[in-house]
Amino acid sequence: MAAAKGLFAKCQLFKWNIQAISAGIFQNGMAIYPSFYIDPIFRKEVQQELVQSGEIDQYAHLPTKPAANNQTCSLTFDPDISLFTNYLMRDGRKNFARQLVEKSLEQVKRIQLEKFHKCTSEEDKAKIELDPKVIFHRAVTNSMPLLQLMPVKRGGVKYQVPVPVSHHRSRFLGMKWLIEASREKDKKTVRFWTQLARELVDASNNSGRVIRRKQDLHRQCEANKAYAHYRWS
Amino acid sequence: MMRKIGIAFRPHNLLNIQNWLLSSRKILEIRTLSAQASSTTEIGSIDTGAPVENGDSKKNLSKAMKAYLDRAREHDEFMNAQRVEFEIGKRHLANMMGENPETFTQADIDNAIEYLFPSGLYQKHARPIMKPPEEVFPQRKAAEFDETGRPYHFLFYTGRSNFYQVLYDVVEHINEMYKFEDSMTRKNLQPDPMLKLNLSGTEWIAKSALEFRVVETVSDREYNTFVTAMDRLSNMPFAYKVKDFIMEYRVSLMNQSETYDAIKPQIREDGRESVTVYECRRKRAIGNVTVISPGTGKITINGQGISYFEGIQEREQILFPLIFSNMQNKVDIEAEMQNGGPSGQAGAIRYGISWALRSFVDQETMESMRLAGLLTFDIRVRERKKPGQAGARRKFTWKKR
Repeated sequence: MAAAKGLFAKCQLFKWNIQAISAGIFQNGMAIYPSFYIDPIFRKEVQQELVQSGEIDQYAHLPTKPAANNQTCSLTFDPDISLFTNYLMRDGRKNFARQLVEKSLEQVKRIQLEKFHKCTSEEDKAKIELDPKVIFHRAVTNSMPLLQLMPVKRGGVKYQVPVPVSHHRSRFLGMKWLIEASREKDKKTVRFWTQLARELVDASNNSGRVIRRKQDLHRQCEANKAYAHYRWS
Repeated sequence: MMRKIGIAFRPHNLLNIQNWLLSSRKILEIRTLSAQASSTTEIGSIDTGAPVENGDSKKNLSKAMKAYLDRAREHDEFMNAQRVEFEIGKRHLANMMGENPETFTQADIDNAIEYLFPSGLYQKHARPIMKPPEEVFPQRKAAEFDETGRPYHFLFYTGRSNFYQVLYDVVEHINEMYKFEDSMTRKNLQPDPMLKLNLSGTEWIAKSALEFRVVETVSDREYNTFVTAMDRLSNMPFAYKVKDFIMEYRVSLMNQSETYDAIKPQIREDGRESVTVYECRRKRAIGNVTVISPGTGKITINGQGISYFEGIQEREQILFPLIFSNMQNKVDIEAEMQNGGPSGQAGAIRYGISWALRSFVDQETMESMRLAGLLTFDIRVRERKKPGQAGARRKFTWKKR
């Protein structure tokens, strides 16, 4: 009986969803869920914040989209690392991409520990960051460019015009450069995750190939600043 | 003019017209309806006040007015006949059901009709009904003008006097708000944040409800105007001063977590409670998930442990609802899964666990699980490949020849 009721309830829920969608009023581009569906608030601490600010009441009457299959309330979850994994993934091999990221974070930890143990004084030891996630975030923040060059055609000539980048695009570029730098490794014997770990540590110290690439771009933007007005005219 | 009169029918009974007239402000002094009017043959005629003689007014009646009165009378007769028929039908129905006709209520009628005419039609309004004629036949407006053809309402010539009266009221309130705001600014006073109008959990009344309230047809565009005007009023800093007026046009929304009930747990042979969710789906995967309480956190998937899934992500997904509701070591999970890949199977199990866990957690946790997107069934499936294309959306490389 309970089972039948459960099935019935599920069917009802399902039916309601279909109805809302078939109404066609709330069409949301190509998305299957109508526009009034809210994104899932799957982190416990975020929900706590909403409860404290009282904002949670405004969601009580709105249906929620299902949580995606890489979202979890687990303490190990990090949205930026999840995003980085997705950028790194090829041919939909998520598990493999995840392994690579995890291995490189492990390698970061090893590199930092090695440095830590080489230090003799307590002061130097205190300066070394041992958390690979912090290193990762620092590396990504350091490799995010502020400007980029956009080709603009004026009078038959293409000018490379410096334009500011959005936060999203900037983060994408930073992560992409980190991945590309690790793929273009010098020796074939070096594994991808080892190289990625090195790049992450380098970038977190504001040095290395990725940072140089960012600085090159900034330098080019600086050189082309005379064309900046082509953004509007 | 004829068109205007066409819509100017009166409602189903004279009492209503009396109420309507009483409620409308200016008309009160000018004219009242005598109860005698209903008993005379001229149903629907408007008894004028003392200053005008009865005979004179009849002579002065315009053709349009006569036509209106005829229609009003016809409508009244029709409604009376319907009402009598309904009463007789109700008594017959009560006798058929073996109940007392005197105490037979509308709820009893609905039950009887559902019992006597079982209908499998999906649309509820397509099923047989028996309702009072007032509910079956659309409401009509009361007289909008006197016997000389002079309209009572100053917005009569807009064609939708009641609707525009609402908009007029909104604008009056907005202007008042502006004045009030100015005076408060002069006194250097800010609106009270404690009194701030909280409209969450309610929405503007639907177009049909608005139409019913003003007894006029309202176009989509006019309804949008209404919503925009009301939004503007309710977004003003001192809107809480006209809260009563605003709330008249708001309806409360249903709480999302109240849209479904938890499954009742079954007692197993070993005395523990269990809830089984049958046919949990996600993508191509399908299977049954059982949650047993109390337990020790043992997970069995197709006879194996959580190691049934090789990927970390899938294991995380299984644990997601358990960690979220703090039940990870308090229940046992048993799942039988078929078809699909690891991601789909893990998603289906996650849904099954969340759906079953509602029976073992409190209302608050259930609501936060809903907000976390655990209780929404994921309806997304693989999109089919189309002929003449490389994939679902991807086209073949275009060659001119």
